Amino acid sequence: MTKSSLSKPMGLLVSIVSVVIALVVWQILAKQGLLGKNFPGSLETLKELQWWLSDPFFNNGPNDLGIGTNLLISLRRVMIGYSLSIVVAVPLGLLIGVSRLASSSANPFIQLLKPVSPLAWLPIGLFVFRDSELTGIFVIFISSVWPTLISTSFGVQTINPDYLRVSRSLGASQLRTITKVVLPAVMPNILAGMRISMGIAWLVIVAAEMLLGSGIGYFIWNEWNNLSLPNIFVAIIVIGLTGILLDQLIGALQKRFDYQL
Amino acid sequence: MPANNDYREAQLSIESVGKVFTSEPGLLRSLSGRRASGGYVALEDVNLRIEENTFVSIIGPSGCGKSTLLNLMAGLDEPSSGQILMDGLRIRGPGPDRGVVFQNYVLMPWLTALENVIYAIETAQPSISKGSAKEQAREYLSMVDLDKAMGRYPREMSGGMKQRVAIARALSIKPKILLMDEPFGALDALTRGYLQEEVLQLWENHRVTVVLVTHSIDEALLLSDQIVLMSSGPNARISDLIDLPRIRPRKRNMIETHPDFLAVKQRLEDHLFRETRAIEEK
Repeated sequence: MTKSSLSKPMGLLVSIVSVVIALVVWQILAKQGLLGKNFPGSLETLKELQWWLSDPFFNNGPNDLGIGTNLLISLRRVMIGYSLSIVVAVPLGLLIGVSRLASSSANPFIQLLKPVSPLAWLPIGLFVFRDSELTGIFVIFISSVWPTLISTSFGVQTINPDYLRVSRSLGASQLRTITKVVLPAVMPNILAGMRISMGIAWLVIVAAEMLLGSGIGYFIWNEWNNLSLPNIFVAIIVIGLTGILLDQLIGALQKRFDYQL
Repeated sequence: MPANNDYREAQLSIESVGKVFTSEPGLLRSLSGRRASGGYVALEDVNLRIEENTFVSIIGPSGCGKSTLLNLMAGLDEPSSGQILMDGLRIRGPGPDRGVVFQNYVLMPWLTALENVIYAIETAQPSISKGSAKEQAREYLSMVDLDKAMGRYPREMSGGMKQRVAIARALSIKPKILLMDEPFGALDALTRGYLQEEVLQLWENHRVTVVLVTHSIDEALLLSDQIVLMSSGPNARISDLIDLPRIRPRKRNMIETHPDFLAVKQRLEDHLFRETRAIEEK
């Protein structure tokens, strides 16, 4: 895959330059007042970022937490909700892929619920659980379960039938074929789904936490009430960087399970 | 159930087997109430008896249903009529008494050569210990000269190596019959020749019944005790059985010089030419 003639270090350099240019343009636009009165420039934002990162884990009460503390709270929620969604999506996806009965009964729900906005689940979660923490986890779970579920069942449905024939010809039981052949064969599909699910889980956390009392999403809400735009940009940068990290984590797993079929 | 006396000497016996493929999926067919008689008749009234420890090749024009017949023997598919007996018992599905080698190797890409064979051994003998499964897998891979490639993944192996792993895998379950479906068809000519020699030697050293589906006359001549000729499909049948001189060990130059082999070769060529012309003129 040669995208262009750019070498790797050259590509990195270009990326850095493009970020620097964006920061400069941002600073100029803000200082000229083109983005509204008192819109923070990139310099101010970076200064704030530096301040937040210099002591990320302070704790001065619920409305004054370090950004690292808030980030960890959010990550914990995402990890619990996301893990639950994987634990449900993979076996269910396998079942839906193997059995026509299962796929016919599950399909209406998948099709109906998949496009629903995560925010729509908040009131339902609050009503059912009467607990903001559980509601946050529930919203992450219900929003991130679909890509892995769909990708897993698609993987099973498109598995190379020769693998199944070989396994059958050796006299393998159905259970053995599923655990030893189907599961590893669809591993790349599962991970592709997990990568998208991870992106959604992280995307949803900010929205979910605006109505909860802590976490990086609540941090943004809180800073909006303080009318501190620079701090909101700080949060956006931190969220973005964390998102990249999470994505790369699963990306590395994907490489590990790339069999080059 | 005691074995039927008539078939005592035949290890595998194919009795009036027919196979009809219907294009409609099962549900649609039962809804429309139509019978399977509207389908494609691949095989019709096939009878064949395969004796223990013989090497039998099935040869015929492409699309004649040779692979279908092999799948029926493997138990991967069911005959629409008739039955296939293995040691007097009706075949009802795949089993470790029959090892199958497919044309496109079909190794699990997430397993190494060794692990692919171990998977087969552990499937056929669920109670075997991890250590002895590994030891046996090594033995079979070394039988096909793959001592140095045991840790390689399929993507790191040539086509010939992959097919040797597949042969080791099929043999590792200690089958009574080895069923090979055009095992050398996807290989280049040199590798094919090399692998034919290797299978020949393997078979001469460790006798086992082999059924080989091929469309190569030379391959059939080099390896077989008996050649089964099939007519072109649809409604394919067995049109002739040819016993080859049981000269072993057999050498490649033998089939090019020995008058008996030459005569058989002529007969095979005539048959295949006729059958192919029949297809082309349909």
